[in-house]
Amino acid sequence: MKDYDNFNATLAAATCALLGSAVATPVAAQEEAGRWSFDSTLLYYGESDDRVRDISAAVSAQRDFGDERKLSATLTADTLTGASASGAIALDRPQTFTSPSGRAVYTTGAGDVPLDDTFLDTRFALNASWMQPLARLYTVSAGLGFSTEYDYTHLGANLSLARDFNKRNTTLSAGLAWSQDDVDPVGGRPIPLSQMLDVGNGTNKRDGSESKDVLDLLIGFTQVLNRTTVLRVNYSYSDSSGYLNDPYKLLSVVDPLTGDTLTRVPVGQGPDGVYLFESRPDSRTKQSLYAEVKHAFGKPVMHFAYRFMTDDWGIDSHTGEVRLRWPLGDGYIEPQLRYYTQSAADFYRASLVSGAVLPRYASADFRLGDFDATTVGIKYGHDTPGGNEWSIRAEYYQQNGSVPREQIIGNQAHRDQYPDLSAVIVQFGYRFKL
Amino acid sequence: MNASCAATLTRDADHWVGRFVAMASPCEVLIDHAPQSVAQQVLDTVAAEAWRIEHKFSRYRSDGAVNRINESAGRATVVDEESANLLDFAATLTRLSDGAFDITSGVLRKAWTFDGGDHVPSQAQIDVLLELVGWHNVEWQRPILKLRAGMQIDLGGIGKEYAVDAAAGLVETAAPGLSCLINFGGDVAVRNTRQDGKPWRVGIESWARMGAAERVVQLSHGALATSGDSRRFVFRGGHRYSHILDARTGWPVRNGPHSVTVAADTCTQAGTLTTLAMLQGQYAERVLKASGVRYWLQ
Repeated sequence: MKDYDNFNATLAAATCALLGSAVATPVAAQEEAGRWSFDSTLLYYGESDDRVRDISAAVSAQRDFGDERKLSATLTADTLTGASASGAIALDRPQTFTSPSGRAVYTTGAGDVPLDDTFLDTRFALNASWMQPLARLYTVSAGLGFSTEYDYTHLGANLSLARDFNKRNTTLSAGLAWSQDDVDPVGGRPIPLSQMLDVGNGTNKRDGSESKDVLDLLIGFTQVLNRTTVLRVNYSYSDSSGYLNDPYKLLSVVDPLTGDTLTRVPVGQGPDGVYLFESRPDSRTKQSLYAEVKHAFGKPVMHFAYRFMTDDWGIDSHTGEVRLRWPLGDGYIEPQLRYYTQSAADFYRASLVSGAVLPRYASADFRLGDFDATTVGIKYGHDTPGGNEWSIRAEYYQQNGSVPREQIIGNQAHRDQYPDLSAVIVQFGYRFKL
Repeated sequence: MNASCAATLTRDADHWVGRFVAMASPCEVLIDHAPQSVAQQVLDTVAAEAWRIEHKFSRYRSDGAVNRINESAGRATVVDEESANLLDFAATLTRLSDGAFDITSGVLRKAWTFDGGDHVPSQAQIDVLLELVGWHNVEWQRPILKLRAGMQIDLGGIGKEYAVDAAAGLVETAAPGLSCLINFGGDVAVRNTRQDGKPWRVGIESWARMGAAERVVQLSHGALATSGDSRRFVFRGGHRYSHILDARTGWPVRNGPHSVTVAADTCTQAGTLTTLAMLQGQYAERVLKASGVRYWLQ
């Protein structure tokens, strides 16, 4: 039995000789999970230059109650530390800002990209869903989700229906999801495009929470093309309305000639420049189209995916991803490559120009800017003799953005207006049954 | 046919269930949506085939083909086409297992009784019997077979899986396209997808808890076979000796899995792989991995 290829061929030939033409079609067998199975992950995400760092632990539990009725629940805990870019531009001089709480100031060094005041946030999320056949060939699933963090609460519900056709080689599905998020920012909600004020002056902030409603519709199509290839195509429509601002994001107001931020003299403690809080529209409509092909080349499995997203804020994005799962010993190795590119929102502004008409909407949030990002990663999964699996995944993320040339004024040309960002992601996973 | 040969047909929610006993095992046929007459015909076909094969290849049946071969040990005998096919197949398995699998090893059971007790025969007892074991000692020139005097063949190791496939083949001829599940004592084959596209569900019995399903496998088509030492073993000196004997040594395989279940295109293939894997003892998984089949170990 040293030569296994020969072994398989010999066995197949001998069986064929014994059974003659009675040889059946290829086997299609699949195990039904009858017990609780758990999937646990521990994830580390760390951005370069000590910006955002996130440690996230998640445990999800699934139970098959037979007859294709399945319950699953996921509990996630996240700890976020560090700081992200506030939207204010870097200058050749230090800059002082009032912290979001309105009770202190913090200073950014000369030449540095201003970051939000250091934050520490812990988030807990719980999601649960139930799936079951509804009638012959129909499957329904319903879920609820809840998450909470210091200044944010999320509540969501979803429902989807799938129907199989063509001996279950084709599946059509339609889903509906709704969520409501409540934002209660530290130090209150700044009035959009109002100026950052001195410590103790909260006249531009409103107390209490604001909410955002999101409605998602999804239509999916899955087709088994042949024994080794599966195609999936999804279209989704998403409508958000309500409070869509990031209450901590700023725009610098700059001199039309020098491009430097206008200075101001604080009364007591306060900002030494003119900064306005961002203003976003109160609705956003997104549409996206996603296509995925999985193909098995013998034992290795290749996965290609592409997503196009467009929204009425003017952002168009493309995502391409390829993964190859290669069997290796008692497990597999899976390299992956992902590329993402997006165009800027119509109201994205690196800064606001003093003296010009104030636009209705403006944001300098880099995430609404023009950027592309590449992720390279590798995952190794190992099956234990007991039928469990552990895995480790490592990824490197590199983001490069740019500010439109016509928005760069005077001295800004000498400074990096859209600093690059890189991040490292490491995830440990363990899947087990009880 | 005697009373134990009765086959019964009952109706379940969306399928028919036929039951009978053959080859010392409970046998069942599950038949997807069909008129009762068709279901009855399928059951009769399957049961008749099971009994025919049992009768022909059982070494306990004085008038069967295997018995006739064993009685003629020492003399050349002409075997029929079907027996010859099984002998060729068995010879291939012997070659693939480097001699560990051997249909002439049945005589070793005179020394070994696997009843959960602690009786282990002496090496001398085994050595005497080993003289009568070994396919290489058999003259086989299809269709002429000559066993040495005292040698015996036993097709029990492959007969049940073969019977499942043979019965499935007959059903396909009698009722083309009809989905049915044939289960002879845990060796299972499914032909054709069910009308509603759903798979048949097959429980794999827990090794530790008799009667409890360790897991459920959904089978749309293809076969499952299980080989194990569930309640057939000898325990002695801290070692559990399975009832799987290595024909080269005359000793049971040690430290192997309790049970191996394999999914393959045919029941014969699945059963062969479970047997060959069990013969590898602690290395059982290597064969299964290399074969690229789905398998479950306990």
